[in-house]
Amino acid sequence: MLKLITGIALGVILSLVAVWQMAGSLMFEERVSPYTVEETVARIQQNIQAAGNGWALFGLRYPTRPVEAEGVSVLPVMAIEACSPKYSGPILKDDKVRFLSLLMPCKISVYKKSDGKVYIGTMNAGLIGKLFGPMVGETMEHVVADQKKFLEFDATKPAPPLILPKAGGEGGAGGAAAGGC
Amino acid sequence: MNIRRMALAASLLAGLVAFGARAELSVPSLADKLPKVAKGTADHSKFKELQKTFKSGPEVTKVCLSCHTDAAQQVQHTKHWTWEVVDPATGKKLGKKNIINNYCTTPISNEKDCMACHAGYGWKDKTFDFTREENVDCLICHDSTGTYRKLPGDAGHPVYERKEFPAGSGKFVEAVDLAKVAQGVAMPSRANCGSCHFFGAGGDGTKHGDLDSSLKKPGKHLDVHMDAKGLNFSCVKCHKTVDHFVSGSRYEFAASRTGPPVARGKYDDEPASCQSCHGDKPHHENPLLMERLNVHTDKLACQTCHIPEYARDSIGTEKSWDWSTATKMGPDGKPMVVKDSAGRRAFDSKKGNFAWDSFLVPEYRWFNGKVEFKTVGEKIDPTKVVEINHFEGSASDPAARIWPFKIHRGKQAYDPELKNLLVVHTAGEDDTALWHNFDWPKAIGKGMETAGLPWSGKYDFVATEMSWPITHMVAPKGDAVRCAQCHKNEGRLAGIGGIWLPGRDRNGLVDTVGWVVVALTLLGTLIHGGIRVCVLCRKKKPEGMKQP
Repeated sequence: MLKLITGIALGVILSLVAVWQMAGSLMFEERVSPYTVEETVARIQQNIQAAGNGWALFGLRYPTRPVEAEGVSVLPVMAIEACSPKYSGPILKDDKVRFLSLLMPCKISVYKKSDGKVYIGTMNAGLIGKLFGPMVGETMEHVVADQKKFLEFDATKPAPPLILPKAGGEGGAGGAAAGGC
Repeated sequence: MNIRRMALAASLLAGLVAFGARAELSVPSLADKLPKVAKGTADHSKFKELQKTFKSGPEVTKVCLSCHTDAAQQVQHTKHWTWEVVDPATGKKLGKKNIINNYCTTPISNEKDCMACHAGYGWKDKTFDFTREENVDCLICHDSTGTYRKLPGDAGHPVYERKEFPAGSGKFVEAVDLAKVAQGVAMPSRANCGSCHFFGAGGDGTKHGDLDSSLKKPGKHLDVHMDAKGLNFSCVKCHKTVDHFVSGSRYEFAASRTGPPVARGKYDDEPASCQSCHGDKPHHENPLLMERLNVHTDKLACQTCHIPEYARDSIGTEKSWDWSTATKMGPDGKPMVVKDSAGRRAFDSKKGNFAWDSFLVPEYRWFNGKVEFKTVGEKIDPTKVVEINHFEGSASDPAARIWPFKIHRGKQAYDPELKNLLVVHTAGEDDTALWHNFDWPKAIGKGMETAGLPWSGKYDFVATEMSWPITHMVAPKGDAVRCAQCHKNEGRLAGIGGIWLPGRDRNGLVDTVGWVVVALTLLGTLIHGGIRVCVLCRKKKPEGMKQP
């Protein structure tokens, strides 16, 4: 009996360790981009604008700037923010899951690593959705489907220009206000 | 006893208070009462000779030379004037005037444009008089107003009349107030040197990769030495200049200086090297690491670790220039310009295709200070990628170090019969200029004729590459390249041969012996532990036995 309990306990502990180790990679996804940081961002921005379903650009952030201001050299990171009231609305209306506003607007990060390659980092919205009930789960399934479209690049199209934040705004690229986010 | 202690404490306290008060007191000295002094010893705005209207640059130079009598002659002996360097080892004539690059290629037949970056006035063709002292441009290096502008097309003269630039852009450049500039001369700043060196090959950051206009006022993250709020070094702080001779050059490169630092003021034949100030054993802060790091200086240039990426700003640098697509027109049959996502040039009907990027990881090569350059008219092998310049050195060469490079790749015109790179007349408004008429044969004909070289009448395009050692944009020490970025498979030094690099290189025998030792150690530990457990079990007394 003691052996059985010890075995189960050991199994549970090992499972928890495995989940703990994998949690990070399950929550976030990363892929290599064939383009420069700026072109990757611009192509994603273009895809977001063309995605429909109320998607609009919400902002473009440069998280490295305050770090550089402290005198630290750091590789470039650009964070695209996008929002769709069609998907954010139901979540924001529900008191039980309104705290998920913490994850809004949706972010896609584009960055360079010391290997010289450009990467795209996204959140695993599908997994997160499953953790918070059927309504959030269903909403996030739609978000995941749209997010895939954001990252489909057509190499035959020329590089579009970056959509930069409008002067005077809080880092927002504009447009999202009209979307209601 | 207590009274004595109290008295002692009181006197100590009084002493401390008095010392503190003394430290805070600010007694004005005689010097404080005198008028504040300027940074230099001469205020040029007070000179009567400069208080007049100047119509041209040479007029200003004449006035400068009335006091600085030898300055022009000194300048005329430098490559900033001659655009020529003779390789002491081979006698080969190098310098901008003689070599051919894979950006704009050569100034020959394009002088009126290229000489916007010549420290002189009037070099528009081969008739330019290199001995005329008033042709020396003092202001390009000594202007402190930031208003002195020289534009392509004026053969090195500053802007005398308000003009639209680029033509048809709707943007205007104001005429330079030469008197104001002359009255405000100063020692060269980063902006002075940068007015040419930041804009090499016709655009900000285009050529070097480690030099662009962000270095006018950089943060510490971009360059620890030029940090505008910190050390704030000007270029001439390192490129120590004597009699207008500026030290440090890609033609006379200090690739592997050894020995301790040299005090400024003492003779130093390589003042523009890192080691000139830091010595060749510069790491001393971390006792656990310093020995290991200092050993690396025998094989690595300082820049290899301390410039982890170049073009570390949004300006970026040009990675490639493909001339073979030049003269291709837009859908409407007219010349077109296409920009990339960051707003940098991607295509221009005048010039072809470009690729730009920023935060680039350098490529690494051995370099011993000797460089071979392709000169105009020199034979090439078009079946291979043509090296515009070749940096010599190998692992067995004690003078060689592993250096970081920007490699600029491209395609440019060559003669498939005579097998040499072609001189192309690009700039100008005449009928033979490529950027005016979009006619390759006419432009090549004019270029080769001006260069005095034969041309078969045929042309094609050949792949070329040009290497630029990276030496500016030194990152803070905490942001240097990490050990594991090189000491691993497919790391930064994957292409470097001739050395054993732990973490990258393997030897089957050494690995096997190592693993056998590890296995034996583990086995020994298990056997030892097992014996002890057995002994411990045997020592246990049988159950039920009572203590006596």
